[in-house]
Amino acid sequence: MDKFRVPGPRRERSSFRHLWHLKHLIPYVKRYAWVLTTALFGLLLTRLMDAIVPQFMKVAIDSLADANLEANLFIPALGILGALAIRFTIYIFARRALRRISISVAYDLRKRIFDRIQYQGPNFFNSHSTGDLMSRAVNDVGMIRMVVSFGWVTIVLFFFTVTTGLYFMFDMSPALATWVVLPLPLVGIVGFLMARGMFPYFRERQEALAAVTSFTQENLNGIRTIQAMGQEDNEIKRFRRVSTKFATAVYRATRYAAWMNICVGLLTSISPIIVIFYGGSLVLQDEITLGTMTAFFAYLMMVTGSVTAIGWSLSMFTGAAAGTERIFEVIDSTLEVADSGAVQIAEPVAGQIEFKNFTYQHPNAIRPAVQNIDLTIRPGETIAILGRVGSGKSTLLKAIARLIDTPAGGIFIDGCDICDVSVERLRQIVTLVPQDPFLFSTSLRENLTYDEPCRSDAAIWDAAHAGGLAQTIEELTNGLDTEVGERGITLSGGQKQRATLTRGLIRDAGILLLDDCFSSVDTETEEGILSGLARMRGERTTLLISHRVSTARHADRILVMDEGEIVEAGSHQELLARGGYYADLEAIQSNQDDNDSRKARLLRNLESDVLVNRA
Amino acid sequence: MSEIENNDRRDYSAFDAELTHQALNMHLFGRLLTWLRPYRPTLFVSIALVVLAAAMSVLMPVITGRVIIDTILVPNPAVSDMPDYGLIGVTSWIEQTFATSPIMAATLLYTLLILVQAFLMFVHRLTMTSSVLKGLRDLRVDLFSSLERKPASFYDHVGVGRVMTRVTNDVENLVDLLTGFGMLAGEFVPFFLAMFLMFHISGELTGIVLLAIPVAAVATYFFRQAMREIFRHVRNSVSSLNQYMQEDLMGIQVVQLSGRESTNIEQYGVFNKENRRQEFRAINYEVLFENVNMSLGSIITAAIVWYGGGAVVQDQVSLGSLVLFTQLINMMIQPVASVGQQFNTLFRSMASGERIFQALDWDEKLHEPVGDRVATLPVRLRGDVEFRQVNFSYLQDEPILKGVSFHIEPGEKLAIVGPTGSGKSTIIRLLARFYDFDDGMIFLDGVDVNTIASNDLRTRVGVVLQDFHVFSGSVIDNITLNNPAISRERAEWAARLVNADPFIRDLPDGYETLLAERGNNLSQGQQQLLAFARVLAVDPEILVLDEATSSIDTGTELIIQDALHKLTEGRTSIIIAHRLQTIQECDRILVLHHGEVKEVGSHEELIAKQGIYYTLHELQFQDVGPTAK
Repeated sequence: MDKFRVPGPRRERSSFRHLWHLKHLIPYVKRYAWVLTTALFGLLLTRLMDAIVPQFMKVAIDSLADANLEANLFIPALGILGALAIRFTIYIFARRALRRISISVAYDLRKRIFDRIQYQGPNFFNSHSTGDLMSRAVNDVGMIRMVVSFGWVTIVLFFFTVTTGLYFMFDMSPALATWVVLPLPLVGIVGFLMARGMFPYFRERQEALAAVTSFTQENLNGIRTIQAMGQEDNEIKRFRRVSTKFATAVYRATRYAAWMNICVGLLTSISPIIVIFYGGSLVLQDEITLGTMTAFFAYLMMVTGSVTAIGWSLSMFTGAAAGTERIFEVIDSTLEVADSGAVQIAEPVAGQIEFKNFTYQHPNAIRPAVQNIDLTIRPGETIAILGRVGSGKSTLLKAIARLIDTPAGGIFIDGCDICDVSVERLRQIVTLVPQDPFLFSTSLRENLTYDEPCRSDAAIWDAAHAGGLAQTIEELTNGLDTEVGERGITLSGGQKQRATLTRGLIRDAGILLLDDCFSSVDTETEEGILSGLARMRGERTTLLISHRVSTARHADRILVMDEGEIVEAGSHQELLARGGYYADLEAIQSNQDDNDSRKARLLRNLESDVLVNRA
Repeated sequence: MSEIENNDRRDYSAFDAELTHQALNMHLFGRLLTWLRPYRPTLFVSIALVVLAAAMSVLMPVITGRVIIDTILVPNPAVSDMPDYGLIGVTSWIEQTFATSPIMAATLLYTLLILVQAFLMFVHRLTMTSSVLKGLRDLRVDLFSSLERKPASFYDHVGVGRVMTRVTNDVENLVDLLTGFGMLAGEFVPFFLAMFLMFHISGELTGIVLLAIPVAAVATYFFRQAMREIFRHVRNSVSSLNQYMQEDLMGIQVVQLSGRESTNIEQYGVFNKENRRQEFRAINYEVLFENVNMSLGSIITAAIVWYGGGAVVQDQVSLGSLVLFTQLINMMIQPVASVGQQFNTLFRSMASGERIFQALDWDEKLHEPVGDRVATLPVRLRGDVEFRQVNFSYLQDEPILKGVSFHIEPGEKLAIVGPTGSGKSTIIRLLARFYDFDDGMIFLDGVDVNTIASNDLRTRVGVVLQDFHVFSGSVIDNITLNNPAISRERAEWAARLVNADPFIRDLPDGYETLLAERGNNLSQGQQQLLAFARVLAVDPEILVLDEATSSIDTGTELIIQDALHKLTEGRTSIIIAHRLQTIQECDRILVLHHGEVKEVGSHEELIAKQGIYYTLHELQFQDVGPTAK
């Protein structure tokens, strides 16, 4: 079957220390305990049937080998078929039950993973990339599924098969059985050790493959740059090296596997050789019958088959244990943004926002992203926020929408601490349009009405006019029902930005937060959007981040942030009069300033701190 | 027929479409083998070894059956004329030469066969793997080279993701294909040898065994028929499940801001349930098929005991041969069952092969000058650029450039301005020969660019694209792009000149700092400066720059302006400008509107003219109401 494999982060070497992680799976499997037990019992029965077949063979062969005996063929043939019929029936039910359980467990795990991920916060997503999470939901769940359907059964069956096989062998001839059994532990031990030794080779192979994948991906993503710089030949040479390295890694893994095969294979052959030599001698001495000797061959095949399978199962177990650990890391992760519904914000929402000595520091950051913010935004006010990259503007907006874990007592909407409001309610009141214009690969309509699919066309068009998207929609062949492609690939950067803006406007929320939503929109269009915004927002609160003075000047109040603090606040005229950062910015952007020394001064001041690693 | 129309007619959707999906496309397989041709000697050795090894494994049951049982344990002179392939003779030779007991001699021979067989298989695996891996490595590199040289028009239409899986997954699937074939060969060689041997010993018993094979084949066939649809449903359900999750994760912020969490959980649940349903359906069949295959062996064994036993009683068949038959049954059943198991792999791999060859056969390329037409350029161009009546369209009937003509003197700086979609970027793309054009001409120092090899051209025309692509690797690698011709000193010099040096030195490991793909650890401005350094390091005669539109904070912008000034100094430059600052740096401005050159002149001239530039300037750059002109 086509297993969907996702390139994931490098897997640690599986080891037995991980095995206890499998205990997490118990609750998921427990509800099927009865079915599991029955199925297992059924499978044991099938093994017993397998073990009976050589006995029938023995009867038949003995009757043929001894001229004094009447040939006894009908009963053994019938017996073999009978055992087969029982085996066939039981196997179908038992195997199917086990596999159904494994599918159900995979289903449950995926569901739990997805549920948890939906409500996780930014730190979680910073440390777990999409590829990483996908790899857990796909590869790791797949591995657990294997263990549930095959792995543990193989181990139980191993003991049972070995016991049954030994029982019949010792029953027929203790002398021969003793000798034949001697090499078997060696097969198990060597097989197991060599299977363990395989891990580094697999890892090397996986890493080499990952190198090929990422080299290709990057190279093709940057193909224009490479072609523009005429580096194709050079890149092909490098690709050849990467590919050769991969081929070498695969070869090494195969060589190791071949060694393993030869070692385990030869060790496994010792027992049949003993049967031939010692068993043959016993037959000659009339200690055992020829039928016994051939039955030994059959039991040996059964037992050695299980012994070689056990090494494979154990490695599967360690792999699944590591997978379980990774899955439950996600399922058991604590939610960053704790939900509470203690306080209700009454309708209609006035839209007053109050920051009370608000400070926020990102986990693992050296200094706070925003600090000591004391500010009251009046209902209906429009606020523009300016400042350099990394000055804390986005953090401030994210804090209001609780996209970060806003500390309690810092931010109040209409007098209620936002930490006491349920997140769901809060995000109905507050709409944030993020900087990165993300669209889903559905129709434009579904994207615009993402939060509430049954909005009227009139509402969509109204918002589209205000968001400057109306003309774009009209120009599209299928209008609102145009498919936008993966991540909105069919739209230009500006169109995507206006679509996300429209998606925000359509919600008609009490508080609208715009995180630099005009960066890819030209100034002309921006003017239109700003007036649409003014019309739609009316007397409701709007906060917007911008780099352009032309955007900011329309706001009721302008805030300039630096190093996480508000350093300038006031109207356009007030800030111009103040002659600070805002005034400098205005001068440069309008280019009305012929004073080169002022520019030079700015350049000097900025060069030292702006460009120096703001990453 | 012009090349442009030619491109237009290409059906790019074919590139993504599901291909024919023949399970056994021999033509394709044959073509695949051409990549193995250089490694033919190793392959032949490998195949010879596997045949030998198979012969050994078939002979082992002959030792137990014919030698040990029929001659040593239960001597039966009545069957001494049955074939033993000289093994009885070898055994007695060992017996006499080393003075051992007969049973010891047989054991020694048996052991010897095991050792030789194991050794042969070992060498077979190594030689086979090494030649297959090398062949596929070559195929992968060939595929990569062909992708590397596909023109920009190709990548305009075909997503990188789609192409990429061909280099990675599809080639990997071919490994499965070839090893799958290898495995089948490894099983079918003993199959035929065993069949030959069995037939030799007893035609009737062989007939019984062979009866089972059509049964297995028919079962396999019906299973495959039934499973084809079911597997397809399973695959589809898996991919919709995963795609949904992936997209949800990528847009998680929007999901949460829109309060869609519970709706999405529900939606994911629908996909999850559907997947479970399909998987449940699939296992019903799988378990049944597995079971049928496993049971066949037992049925044949019963038949051999019943029928063969009767033959033994009548001395038509020896007892040893009967045992031998039961031991060979597995060798007969296994390959038939394997074909069933391998079929899905083969099926998938064939599709992969088709996709790979489709990419290799995709013959879209730039028209390169050949033979006498190739112009030899001087070591250093003066930098004179001329567009003469250039018309261009990506799609038929949608002209992007209409009769564009202009001329740039060596060392001159030209700014191109115009609204989105006016054709600004296209001018750059044509000059750098990302696209073929044949309506109109472009000259560099008076030489038609269509006569310049694109590789040569691109070392002379340095292009800075709007989005700077960061490759994962060190900063220095990103400046030199691993080009051995650029020394480290030169790269650092370039970085210093474009003001990138201070921030680079401030990075944790300076020039050795590893950058993540997409440059997540660099700001927009820093990326821009690196792009400048990258192009400066090559020192092209002509600089072409598509200025980034996204707004950056003003401080950074000042530094970039300064860097741009140094970069363009004394170099013919064409800049698609979005910032007034940049425009004012330039000697002349060209206004493009709907693909036509509307105005050309200096800033002052165009302002005085009160035309398009004046309007654009008023709208875009004059923000300060009271003081504006």
